[in-house]
Amino acid sequence: MPIKFEKVSHIYSEGTPFRYVALEDVDLEFREGAFTAVIGRTGSGKSTLVQHLNALLLPTSGTVIVDDWQLKAGQDAKGLKKLRKKVGLVFQFPEYQLFEETVLKDISFGPKNFGVPVKEAEEKASNALRMVGLDKEYEQRSPLELSGGQKRRVAIAGILAMDPDILVLDEPTAGLDPQGALEMMRLFRDLNKIHGTTIIMVTHDMEQVFGYCDEVVVMENGKPTIHTSVQDFFKDSSYCDSLNILPPALIRMKDMLKEKGFALTDDIRTLPVFARAIAKQVKHHG
Amino acid sequence: MGNITLGRYIPLDSPIHRMDPRAKIGAMIITLIAIFFPAGWIGYGIIFTAVSTVIILSKLSPVYIWKSMKPMLLMMVFLLVINILVIHTGQVWLKIGPLSIYSDAVMQTLYIIVRLLLMIMITTCLTATTKPLDMTLGIEDLLGPFKKIGVPSHEIAMLISIALRFIPDLIDETNRIIKAQESRGVDLKEGKLSERIMAILSLIVPLFVSAFQRADDLANAMEARGYQPGEPRTRYKILKMKGPDWALLLGACLLLAGMIYLAYFA
Repeated sequence: MPIKFEKVSHIYSEGTPFRYVALEDVDLEFREGAFTAVIGRTGSGKSTLVQHLNALLLPTSGTVIVDDWQLKAGQDAKGLKKLRKKVGLVFQFPEYQLFEETVLKDISFGPKNFGVPVKEAEEKASNALRMVGLDKEYEQRSPLELSGGQKRRVAIAGILAMDPDILVLDEPTAGLDPQGALEMMRLFRDLNKIHGTTIIMVTHDMEQVFGYCDEVVVMENGKPTIHTSVQDFFKDSSYCDSLNILPPALIRMKDMLKEKGFALTDDIRTLPVFARAIAKQVKHHG
Repeated sequence: MGNITLGRYIPLDSPIHRMDPRAKIGAMIITLIAIFFPAGWIGYGIIFTAVSTVIILSKLSPVYIWKSMKPMLLMMVFLLVINILVIHTGQVWLKIGPLSIYSDAVMQTLYIIVRLLLMIMITTCLTATTKPLDMTLGIEDLLGPFKKIGVPSHEIAMLISIALRFIPDLIDETNRIIKAQESRGVDLKEGKLSERIMAILSLIVPLFVSAFQRADDLANAMEARGYQPGEPRTRYKILKMKGPDWALLLGACLLLAGMIYLAYFA
């Protein structure tokens, strides 16, 4: 199932004084089954890029290929419903999309729209609610009276209940408390590693990229300038320095220790492995 | 939704953009009154020339003006149909079965359409060249004299500026919610009636929730900064009428006088 951009440009408000080039000649392929992070400055085209994946935006030139769909400029919006079931998109601050009387009804809204019978849809909704860490007693509550973090979970459950093959997340943890963000990221990782869902996530958080993702795409001025594995991206702080972003704490620590003469390999990614490597060398010298 | 042009400010640099909002609003009102005098085709020709000159000076593209007229097309067709059915004076121009089209019906409709188009041209020209904030400053000043008889001019101006301030935000918000719900399989373009009602509901409820949220936030932010309606306030921007502003007003007055002359004395 290819997820591919071929010479895609997107220009907003063409022919008016508000004309704005958001994407320019993008050639990009997302690997199926991978957890890919899309990073870049505000206004670099990240959100515009991911909204092409389920045809909310069509390219103003070029082609987006997702599975059997070939999305081109000026195409008719018919037949896109199936694509939108396949590619679930969670917007930034998705809690604003809640509208139903009860949490259960709201989560099953998506599946029902895609033709799943009511009973089955509610079953899926119930499952999705459990996945995002809210128990059954929330099912009959009004989504509008929940706390911000709970609303976010319900909104994400609304997309998960659609069983998408590709999950696109636009800053899913922005504004969540650290514990909530951690739980969400673990959920996404499990979806990716256990269910094999392809995940494409827009984020500003390097710790998340480092801790959970497989690949990194860097957007700059409407173009992907770097597309590489997370391992390669964080092998030292050179990529981060060139982009003027703060590397994850572990990488910073590693760089500092290397300067002091420690021999640390690039494949050290988790804290326990890191600790063991340091311990070994300290003992050795001790 | 992104194509709404009516009432949007277009940031350009032109003599019209730099004018005093009071002069522009005043000139607009006077010209709108002038349009309502039955000055015949010559009169409308003169007004059209005058308004076109202002539009050319303002560097607005004719395409933009045309776009803001487009939503009125349906109303114009509606007017034509009503007039054809109701007005039965003048000569019969066309007979289709039981329906006769009289000359007066067509002429009457044409008059109304021309008036409407001129009005849209004038108001678009004002809103496209005047920043919403300047506009409310102008309105506040123009309402100033009525303060003595109890018109809360400052509050009205604040109300208008807040409303204008939130139009683009609400349009953005609507677009966002449309996209979010489309991602959940909502189809706004086709489907059964019950599905479409549900689709609209899925937009309206979140939109209201966020609008109230914004209103709440704004009220808190204003109160936190000590806003007191009715108290005297100083201004950052002081409006000043200059030569071109007086010229615009004078021009509008001449136009009005000319229309009165054409309508009643020529």
